[in-house]
Amino acid sequence: MNISLISGVLALALGLVYTILALALPEASIGIPFAPRIFPSALGIAMILFSIILIFSELKKQKKENDQKKEKEKEKKKNNPYLRQILLTCVFSVLYAVLFNRIGYVFSTVLFLEAELWLFNGIKKWKLNTVVAVAFSLFIYIVFSKLLGVYLPLTPGIWI
Amino acid sequence: MDTLLYLIQGLGVALQPINLLWVTIGGLLGTIIGMLPGLGPATGVAVLLPLTFVMGPQASLITMAGVYYGAMYGGSRASILINTPGDGAAVAATFDGYPMTLSGRAEAALAISAIASFIGGIIATVIMVAIALPVARFALKFGPAEYFMLFVFALSATASMSKGNVSKGFISTILGLMIAMIGIDGQSGVKRFTFGVLELESGIDFLVIIIAVYAMGEVFKSFRGIAEGRKKAQKKFGRIWISKEEWKRSLMPILRSAPFGFIIGALPGAGGTMASLLSYNNEKNLSKHPDEFGSGAIEGVAAPESANNAASVGAMIPMLTLGIPGSGTTAVMMGALLMLGLQPGPMLFTQQSTIIWALIASMFVGNIILAIINIPLAGALVRVLSVPPKILYPIVLGLAFVGTYAISYSVVDFYLLIIFGLVGFFLSAAKIPVTPLILAVIIGNNMEQSFRRAYTISDGNLGIFFGSPLAIALFILTIASIAGPWLQKVVAKRKAAAEA
Repeated sequence: MNISLISGVLALALGLVYTILALALPEASIGIPFAPRIFPSALGIAMILFSIILIFSELKKQKKENDQKKEKEKEKKKNNPYLRQILLTCVFSVLYAVLFNRIGYVFSTVLFLEAELWLFNGIKKWKLNTVVAVAFSLFIYIVFSKLLGVYLPLTPGIWI
Repeated sequence: MDTLLYLIQGLGVALQPINLLWVTIGGLLGTIIGMLPGLGPATGVAVLLPLTFVMGPQASLITMAGVYYGAMYGGSRASILINTPGDGAAVAATFDGYPMTLSGRAEAALAISAIASFIGGIIATVIMVAIALPVARFALKFGPAEYFMLFVFALSATASMSKGNVSKGFISTILGLMIAMIGIDGQSGVKRFTFGVLELESGIDFLVIIIAVYAMGEVFKSFRGIAEGRKKAQKKFGRIWISKEEWKRSLMPILRSAPFGFIIGALPGAGGTMASLLSYNNEKNLSKHPDEFGSGAIEGVAAPESANNAASVGAMIPMLTLGIPGSGTTAVMMGALLMLGLQPGPMLFTQQSTIIWALIASMFVGNIILAIINIPLAGALVRVLSVPPKILYPIVLGLAFVGTYAISYSVVDFYLLIIFGLVGFFLSAAKIPVTPLILAVIIGNNMEQSFRRAYTISDGNLGIFFGSPLAIALFILTIASIAGPWLQKVVAKRKAAAEA
């Protein structure tokens, strides 16, 4: 299965679920009772149609491309290490979201950037990473929170 | 005559010192973001926009105009110097710009790209000033049914013009519309697709989606390329200017490409990318020495740069007058207007004329300021290119989060940012274009509202969507926009078969 085919199948599943959910939406108490359903249901049905078209055209293509299969498998192997980094970025982002209001903008951002810079730039350059993380967090905080008046959460007990 | 008066008023606003400062700061920041591979004007505007809300609508819009143009200038810097375009529209600048750098003519390439962008932008803004009011007046004739058909046309044109499989374009569009449906229905109060989550009742903010897809998605994608490192950019430059002979060669291509780019930009679905690529091919066909193209012909930089900038102005026409964005970037600009409480469309020109004309005037001013920043300061600005992306991407991530937070001061948006960042990454991995999704997310609600209004007026009779010549014409255009690319494919296949 190539990724286009997978996305076609996913789209089909989404279309089916969405259509069912759309048809089950509650009725409106004012105006035409089924009005809130029409547009979403049409979207669901359109999604089903286009995903079927995609699946068929991909199946057709795949028959032609059977020979090139080996190359594609190689590509997949190449992708793996990046998936780890993407996953870690998601984990760091969730932690960032959890810490954001609790320990304040500056501290949570320093931690988050430090983690991301570690992913991108490596642990060896921790001095540079720290400078960048601290400078960015303070710069954004001072410019936006102090000068422009965008509210950013404070660290409990400290002025920033 | 009205137009001139409005324009002078607008210039009065745009030329206020504080606004000049904002457009300059916006331009500088935009240039820096635009130089990063994968990050173009759409990302720049999306990430920085929420942070400008506090400035008030006028200053915010003017800053965003600066970011918008700055990012386009920045995109072509990176194309010329390190062969990595910031976004699709800057791709054409690599064809001859990079060969020029390799042969030691980076100065001329940088200068002509700034000059061509400047002239293209100014010509296009003049055309825009001339036609904006008439188009807006014409648009007043549209009823809800016509509007709905117009939305259908714009979306299907965008979907079918996107590269690759057309059904993927439509899937992206529908997904965008589905996202737009989430939340409490404004007409009936029915909760739709909120799954009991309180935060979803007010709908998902389109800015979150935009930042997620353009910034998070790009950062995710960048992991793949980051290990490969980056070409070193030239740091020392001579005088950034062009010779008389180069000027003579470039002038006509620039002048030709500007109106051409404007028209392409104003069409739904076709944006700066198409305008710059088409004008490049045009000039190649018209040129007396087409063999030089691709190995450092100065026209090959001048023409697409002029067309690209003109297209970005042209794309503002349907966005401002009809509320229909023609490209990812204008969609983000429309998002900016909506966030500031301005509903793009014909009424905008009558109800909010001061702000709109200030925006148009700041396009003039922004173009001039960016040309000033980009010619003498190019040497200093491109130093950003020598900052490794390994450091810049985490910073973009930091900006994406703080921007998202500033939208509604809610951490819940962070989770949406992560989820839709992954969706964006998956879409591009599956080669599904993301621009249709962004357009659909932005106009989804208006589209449904116009549908519902027409449906109510006609008492549930769907015939209203074919009830006027205008609606029928739009329907025919929709069919043509879908059938056009398909017919082209069939014809091409037949030709190939006949030749074989």
